Amino acid sequence: MSIEILNIRKSFGAFPAVNDVSLHIKTGEMVAFLGPSGSGKTTLLRIVAGLEFADSGEISFHGDNVTAKSANERKAGFVFQSYALFNHMTIFENIAFGLRVVPRSKRLSHEKIQERVISLLEAIQLPGLGNRFPSQLSGGQRQRVAFARALAVEPRVLLLDEPFGALDAKVRRELRRWLAEFHEKTHLTSLFVTHDQEEAFEVADRVVIIDKGAIQQIGTPDEIRSGSGNTFVRDFLALDI
Amino acid sequence: MASFIDFRNPPGSDRRADTAVRATAEPLWIRRILIGSVLAFFILFLFLPLTVVFQGALAKGSGVIANAFQDHDILHSIQMTLVVALIAVPANTAFGIAAAWAITRYRFMGRGLLLALIDLPLWVSPVIGGLIYVLLYGRRGYFGPWLTAHDIKIIFALPGMAMATIFVTLPFVARSLIPLMQAQGVEEEEAALTLGAGGFQILWRITLPKIRWGLFYGVILCNARAMGEFGAVSVVSAKISGRTNTMPLEIERLYNDYLFPEAFAVAAALALLALVTLVLKTLSEWENARQFEASRRVSLETTIEPLSSPLT
Repeated sequence: MSIEILNIRKSFGAFPAVNDVSLHIKTGEMVAFLGPSGSGKTTLLRIVAGLEFADSGEISFHGDNVTAKSANERKAGFVFQSYALFNHMTIFENIAFGLRVVPRSKRLSHEKIQERVISLLEAIQLPGLGNRFPSQLSGGQRQRVAFARALAVEPRVLLLDEPFGALDAKVRRELRRWLAEFHEKTHLTSLFVTHDQEEAFEVADRVVIIDKGAIQQIGTPDEIRSGSGNTFVRDFLALDI
Repeated sequence: MASFIDFRNPPGSDRRADTAVRATAEPLWIRRILIGSVLAFFILFLFLPLTVVFQGALAKGSGVIANAFQDHDILHSIQMTLVVALIAVPANTAFGIAAAWAITRYRFMGRGLLLALIDLPLWVSPVIGGLIYVLLYGRRGYFGPWLTAHDIKIIFALPGMAMATIFVTLPFVARSLIPLMQAQGVEEEEAALTLGAGGFQILWRITLPKIRWGLFYGVILCNARAMGEFGAVSVVSAKISGRTNTMPLEIERLYNDYLFPEAFAVAAALALLALVTLVLKTLSEWENARQFEASRRVSLETTIEPLSSPLT
């Protein structure tokens, strides 16, 4: 499932958050948006998800123009920095949520839902923890549940907003490796936002450097690290030192 | 630094050191006076009147009470109070949720005005709350001629009393939800949206469970105020015993008729309703704290399982 971002513009009041960004993400690609805070990378991701709406421009998923569609019609999995788990529901119910809100005629059977949640719990290595509540899990465990919840509905694309930002360094590295391996296996088209270059270069197929709401450079990690970018990119990555 | 310490504590001056310590902990006699006067104030203005209500009700024996609660007019006033509360509380619950949702989730024209006006019923006298409805819906009011022509009676009847009560109790639910919903943010709702949930599903499955204790608190507060309202209702009620009197109005009527034990009996019943509200409110706060503490404790015991291979 490819993602087409075409001439997206978005302002908050007089502040231009995203300034005419166009980008094509190929099927199965993992692309990182890398930039300083306030650069507009999260806003761009939220526009792709349908959590914000652009002032102008177009978003398409594999030729399906979703620009006017609401987030709940886009089938784009979203993982938040702060997990955003449903604290009043068990882990099981969190993961099952997206399957349960489907209209009755299209909903999976009770047994099928049960089956899928259990297999997802095993996949994130939290088998048997379905009855716990989010507050009873560690940060890394919670973020894994958030992944499972997003994946349960079989999204067309996966969007990650600083997914490891709230975790400590060790868990961060673990989860990062896990995400890279996961993507290696499933090739689910993924976009993730980060301000951590190490993270972007390790996980992504291509890195998009964003500043002041505009793309400064697009390339593979090697291309970007070679120092071929503009002054901002070299400065931001500290390539001159 | 040394000179500063020397200034505060000159050698050989223990008195200065003493006052420095006592600056944070008042002398015993001040503490005693403070606590004593607070307790005296509480007993004089809160506890004593409450006990007198029950004492007054029981003054002529429990037979008077039993008779009072068989009296048609008194029973009718209880019914009226419950009916008015049954209209006003759900109305303000729906409005409160909608207003809190709109104020915390959207930026729109008139948002600041709405936020300020929600508190208005707390600032103005309830009598004014009743009066504005007379001016709007009374026989000489704006809509009076139209209402008379269509034979709809609002003022001096149940609709007007319910409306005046809604006015007076309007802030409670909204006020207890707005800070809560502001603190909780919208991320869980956004997550539900990306998982395909519709607006009503998000409200029912995510937002309402998240705010349920705050909502419960607001609703019982609103209910207590709705059942106890006197001023606003007295303006729009015809004050006909057995027809348009609520409990507070009936208490006044009985009192003015020198039927003191009966007046106190109804007052005691109303006070009991308030006490039940107080107990429910306290229980809801305990439950809230207990759940919070329980989830915190277990999270400390949880260990992190190692992570090896990705999804298969």
